[in-house]
Formats: sequence, structure tokens, C-alpha cells
Amino acid sequence: MASPANFLRLCLRTSRPLSNLRTAAVQQSTLRRQLSTTQWRPAPSQDEAANQEAQDEFDRVFRNPGEFLKTLVRDENVPDEERQLAMRMLDDWKKVPPDMQRQFDRLTEEVDQESARLRRPVQPKRDSFWNTEEADSDLITSEIGEDDFEEDDIMALGHAKLEEHREFREYARIAVWEMPLLSKLAKPFQPPAEDEVLRFRYTTYLGEFHPADRKVVVEFCPRDLPLTEPQQLKLKKLAGARYNPEKDIIKISCERFEHQAQNKRYLGDLVDKMIATAKDPTDMFEDIPLDLRHHKVKPQVKFPKEWYLTEQRKKELEARRQQALLLDEQKRTEGTLVDGVQTIQQALLTMKAVEETVPVLRGRSPRGRR
Amino acid sequence: MSAPNCLRGLVRPSATIPISAPRSAAPRAAPIGLARPAPFSTTALNARRQDPNQQGGGGKGHVRQGKKLKLGKFKKTAVESKGKPPLPGERRAYRKRITLSNDNAIPVPWLKDIGADGLANAQNIARVLALPEEVQDQLRASEAFKPTQCWGMFRKPSLLVRKESVDLMNRIQTSVDNKQTLRLVVTGDKVTGKSMMLLQAQAHAFLNNWIVIHVPEGQELTTACTEYAPIPNTDPVQYMQPVYILKLLQSIKRANEKILAKTYTMTGHPELPQNITPNTPLLALCNAAKEPDSAWPVFQALWNELTAHGTAANRPPILLSLDGLAHVMRVSDYRSPAFERIHSHDLALVRLFTDTLGGAVQFPAGGAVLAATSRNNAPRSPSMELSLAQREAEQAKREEVPQKDPFFRGYDDRVEAVLRSVQVIRLGGVSKLEARALMEYWAASGMLRATVDEKAVTEKWTLAGSGVLGEMERAALLTMRI
Repeated sequence: MASPANFLRLCLRTSRPLSNLRTAAVQQSTLRRQLSTTQWRPAPSQDEAANQEAQDEFDRVFRNPGEFLKTLVRDENVPDEERQLAMRMLDDWKKVPPDMQRQFDRLTEEVDQESARLRRPVQPKRDSFWNTEEADSDLITSEIGEDDFEEDDIMALGHAKLEEHREFREYARIAVWEMPLLSKLAKPFQPPAEDEVLRFRYTTYLGEFHPADRKVVVEFCPRDLPLTEPQQLKLKKLAGARYNPEKDIIKISCERFEHQAQNKRYLGDLVDKMIATAKDPTDMFEDIPLDLRHHKVKPQVKFPKEWYLTEQRKKELEARRQQALLLDEQKRTEGTLVDGVQTIQQALLTMKAVEETVPVLRGRSPRGRR
Repeated sequence: MSAPNCLRGLVRPSATIPISAPRSAAPRAAPIGLARPAPFSTTALNARRQDPNQQGGGGKGHVRQGKKLKLGKFKKTAVESKGKPPLPGERRAYRKRITLSNDNAIPVPWLKDIGADGLANAQNIARVLALPEEVQDQLRASEAFKPTQCWGMFRKPSLLVRKESVDLMNRIQTSVDNKQTLRLVVTGDKVTGKSMMLLQAQAHAFLNNWIVIHVPEGQELTTACTEYAPIPNTDPVQYMQPVYILKLLQSIKRANEKILAKTYTMTGHPELPQNITPNTPLLALCNAAKEPDSAWPVFQALWNELTAHGTAANRPPILLSLDGLAHVMRVSDYRSPAFERIHSHDLALVRLFTDTLGGAVQFPAGGAVLAATSRNNAPRSPSMELSLAQREAEQAKREEVPQKDPFFRGYDDRVEAVLRSVQVIRLGGVSKLEARALMEYWAASGMLRATVDEKAVTEKWTLAGSGVLGEMERAALLTMRI
């Protein structure tokens, strides 16, 4: 059976906060360090003192509530109301019988000992191959000793299976009872208004961190903007390869900044700048043709309408064939139909007749020639 | 000087003795009588027995003694020569030979010769007509026949009169009647009969006693396979191709002998090697070119005589034609003295043609300038393709005329200038009626062993991509299936 430590870990697994991980990753990606042999260390944050204190609070283990209340009373930073409340609670604690207090101490000690392994930071072994020795924390069962059957319970795998079923049923319940309620929140589709020209696209990975979730894309049609024809043309030329002539749409994306909002703001500013430049009459780029080399128009081949075999078409074809057959028949009766095989046979017959008249040299019989 | 070197000075120089090798040690060590220098070796020189046959010194070099190292595992055994190899040019002549008749083919009884307006008559559409003997000779002289065409299968060379050919002949005839010059390009897909259209136009011209100047292959002028030389006193420098022009002059002379004999020069040409006085027949002028050196001046004199205005009554109409237009619409493979590539239009003969095609030269008695594109052997010429597409769209009065790609660099302004106002005829497949006439001719010649009814015609017509003539030949005539 699972040891208490593993049991605890399983309990903790669901409530593990993800925010720390995420900030760490972001910090890493934004910090571009030079080539160096020293280890990377984050810069000390502003409120280091407060951070340190919080760290201490976590590090120190109180054996019972009395100890905790004592430190709280002694603490100078605590407001008076809290201190008085703590003093009152401390008096209550002192009234608790001493064996109960000792039991508390023992329990705390036990939990502390059992959970010591968990609290130790897991460091990957240096010479391990892809950290194969590391236990996989995402597995439902703990891998250690799960195949030992102790005749008091079903196996860990069975428990895991049951857990899985519970999960399925939970989601099924949600789907049946709670999802339909979502329709109450549905809003009717409003087509974009005249002045809502820009269409933004965002990406979300449902709360998970992803390097692409900051990307924002804006699309707009130059015709929708309040611009004259030459200004629109200039805008298209400014957009360069971001202009799609088939859809008549300019599409720009940005993932330069860390947050979605920053990227969106940048795009908005950029579009404003482009419009302002397009409106600027000093140079309208009249000498530069619109460059569409980036876009290959793929011809859409469609089945020709005339080729569909409709009833009418079938009749038409049938009539034409009939006419051709009649024409052939007529020619055949007239004898004007040309037949290649017949022609050759006739020619061969006439050629034999010609061959017989080959002149023979005088003084020699035909037999003698042989 | 050492004694051997002194002695060598007395020996009469010959190919066997190394003339000067003072630094090499081997000759010094070798006796004088030893003919060949010793090969590089670390062993002492052993005087080999001289083979009296090898005394000449030429031929085989060093022969290695002892066991030989075989490098390849499988050595090819030398193939014993089987008879004499063909002489230079013999293979090409065999490849390019043109056979115009087949005695084994059955003569077609209803085949008629083409009359003077046979090709311009709309009644002859979808009929096969034979070329008269005289015109055959003329066409052969002007190299209008091509080895890829199936002349050698039939008793007599004959032509299918198509709708397009009647259209073309009518256009030519109209322009000749109005004493104008028709400028036209024949284009179309592969094996649709573009060269054949030129041949028909030439046949028409010969039948009507016009003068025909035909350049059979544009590529012969621009692929740097014939000699060239700059023409003095030209700016920018133009280049003549004397050998080719001499050949062309001779073919013009042979093809148009009768008419040239009846046409006389207007002015004298004292600059030619043979002094030509006024009122000399043009045939004599052609004969003045005996060597490549005098070919270009003679050709120029002939051209000036033919295009001289003011004597319209005496000059016959002229047909100038060229096959393989793409080759003359690009930068040629010739190099100038500065090793820059010469534009095709700087070659004098090509320029003469393109000027006429562009409309700079008008024939006094009218005529036509025809050019045919080629699809199998054609370099890419974007300007030509675009110009032809534009002309075609303009003539069809289409709404969308194709435009230049502003970001493409390969266009050629000179080519566009030439093709700015030409007419374009696009050839496609023939109609079923024409296909039937042709197949009946094939069957009557004994070359198609089938009954030519509607079914057979439709089958071959469809197989040939809606009646592309070359494909029909391939489907019906050139198969071994009998």
C-alpha cells in the first residue's frame, strides 16, 4: 500500500500552484544573458525583506498552536487587535490538558518526519539518463510496491481505475446538469459596426503557459477605412507582403512583447501610424507598382457547365451520333466510304498484273534466270 | 658545354630528338642513338632493343613491363570495329534527309494538284490537294520541308487545306492586292501545324510567281554555329554571317530562278566584285556571290533591289518567312570583341527580318512577312510570349489584355518594338470534317488500315486532343499496330 508520504503527495498534487512555475519561465525567457561560465541567478527583487520574512514563516515549524500564538504575541509588526485576540486564544490554549498538548506535539512531529522527504528539493542526478530514476509525479498510482498484495484491499491499480471512473462521472454530471445552464450566458451575435474595422485574434491555451499565447493578430480591409483610392493604394504598398490581394485584406501579427495587451496596443498604434502615413500627401509612391510577388493566385479549376450530361445534352449527342451513322450508311451504299484494308488488297491485285509484264533479256528463257 | 650536347648539335633536327632538354639528366646519360628520352625510373637505364617499326618515334608511348595493375574489376573488352565508320557529316545528312515520295504507297485517284488560288479558295477547306512537281522542287530548294513531317509515307506530297490556311492566304492575297505588307506571326501548341502553315504560304507564293525568302531555322542564325564578322562602318556595330548568307542566296536563287531571271536591276552596283550594270537580271546579281566574302554585299544589293520603290509594276510580291521565332527574339550566343553577348537584332540578317516584321520596310509590290513560333525547340522569350498574348487579346477584343509584370527583369524592349503591331494566328486542332478528309487520304494511300467512318474519325480526333494534327498522325499513322 502507498506510504503516508506518497498519500500526502497525492493530496498535494491537485493543489500545487502553477503561478511560481510560470513566472520563473517568463523571467528566464526575458533575460538574455551573455555567454558566461557563472551560474545564472535572478536579480534580487524589490521587496526582498518581506519575501525573506515570508520565507521564514514557512521554514519555521511550530509544534503546537501555543508556540505559534506566543510568537504572534511577541511580534512587533502585528496590530493591537490581533495581538489581543492572540493573547485570548493563548489563555484558552493554556487551559487545554497537558496530555492533549503532548499529543499535538507528537502528531506534528510525525507529520514533520513523514513529509521531510517531500519537502526536500528534488535535484536531477548528474549522471542519470533523461532522469529515468525520478518518480513520475503525474502517474495516478505510486510505482513503488504497488504490485504487493496484502489481502486487505484491492490493488493500487484498481483504486486508480475507480478514481478514473469517478472522474468520468464527475464530468458527465457537469455535462448533464451544468453545461445546459451556460446557454443562459449566450449573447446574440452582433456583426461589427461601421467603425469597428480592425479584427483582432487572440490565442489562449486555457490558462496554461505557452510561448504563443501572447501573440495577437490584426486583420483589416483597406476599403473599410475612411481613405481615398490613392491613399488605399499607398496603404497596400506600405503593407507589402502582409497584403492579400485575393481577399483584399491586410494581416499583421505581433508577439514581440510579453503580454497580449502590449502586443495589441502595439498593433493598434502601428495601424494608426500606417493610416497617417497613407494620408500624408508628400510622397504617394506613384512610381512604385503594387508588389504582389508574395502571393500566388491558385486557379480554381471547376468542372465546365457545358460538360454536364443533362437530359437535353444526352438527346443532342444521341441525335448527332444518329446523323453521323446515317451519313456513314449513305456513303457505304454510294461506295464512297474509304476502307484502308480494301484499298490495299485492290492495289496488291493490280500490282501483280503489273509484275507479269517484266521484260526478259533476249536469248534467255525465264527458266534460265533461276 | 658537355661533349654529348656538342655532338647533338651536329645531328640533323628531327621529331625523334628532344630539341632542348639541357636540364634533364636522362638525355645526357643516354647515348645519342637512343631515340626516345628515358621514362622516369629509379632503375638503371637498360638499352632496349630498338624495334625497327617504332623508329619513327610517334605513336605508342611508354610500355610498362611486368605484371600490370588492373584497376577496374570488369574491364570492357575492346569492341572490334565493324567496318568503316561514317564520314563526317554523313550521319547528319542521314538524319536530315527529306524523302518526298514513297513508291510503295498507293496513288490516290482523286487527288488533284493545287491551282494558283487553290489555297485561298474557301471551297477547298477540308480537302487534300497535291503539290505540283515544280513547286515541290522550289519548296525543297527553300528548305520548307522538315524531316519530322511525314512526307516519306505517301506517293506524292499533299496538303490538307484548313480553315486557318484559307484565312491566312486570303489575308496575304488582300495585302498583295493593296500593295501592302502583311506582318503576321503563326503560333499555337505543339505539333499543330505551324511550320506546315508557312509551307502552305510558300506554296501559295510559288504558285503565284512571288519571290520567297525563307529562313528555315531561326536557331541557325543565333546559336553561334555559323561564322560571323562585324560589318565595317556600322554604328552600333552589326554583324554579318557570310557563310549562312551565301547558302541563303543560293537557296533563293534556286527557288526563285524563273522570277529572278525576269526581274531586272534598277541601279548599277559597282561595289560588288562583279560589276553589275542597270537592267541586269537579278539572277545574275545572285550569281555574283561565289564566296562567303562577297555574300553580304550581294545580299544587301539584292534586298535593296527587291525593296526599291517607284517601280512597283516590275517588282513581284515578296514573301519573307522565318521558322523558330523565339530564337531570333533573344540575346544570341555570339560574342562581341569585348566578350559581351550580341543581341540577335544586331545580326544583320536577323535585323533585316525584324525590321520588316516590325513594319519599317514596305515591299513595293506588297507581300507578307511571316514568322512561326516553335514549341519543342524554343528558348524562353518572355517579351515575345507577352507581346503575342497581348496582340491576340487585342485582336479578339478581349477585355483583359495581359500586362507586364513590373517586378520581372527579363523583358526586352527591342523585341516588344518589333512585335507591337503584328497580326497573330493561333493554330489549334482541326475540325472533324478536316480530320476525316485527312484520314480518308491516309486510308486511300494504304497507310491507315481501317474503315474511315465517323466512329474511327471521332476516336482519333479525340485521342489527338481535339484534332491536333501531329497527335493524329501519332495516333493513326505512326503506330505499328495494324
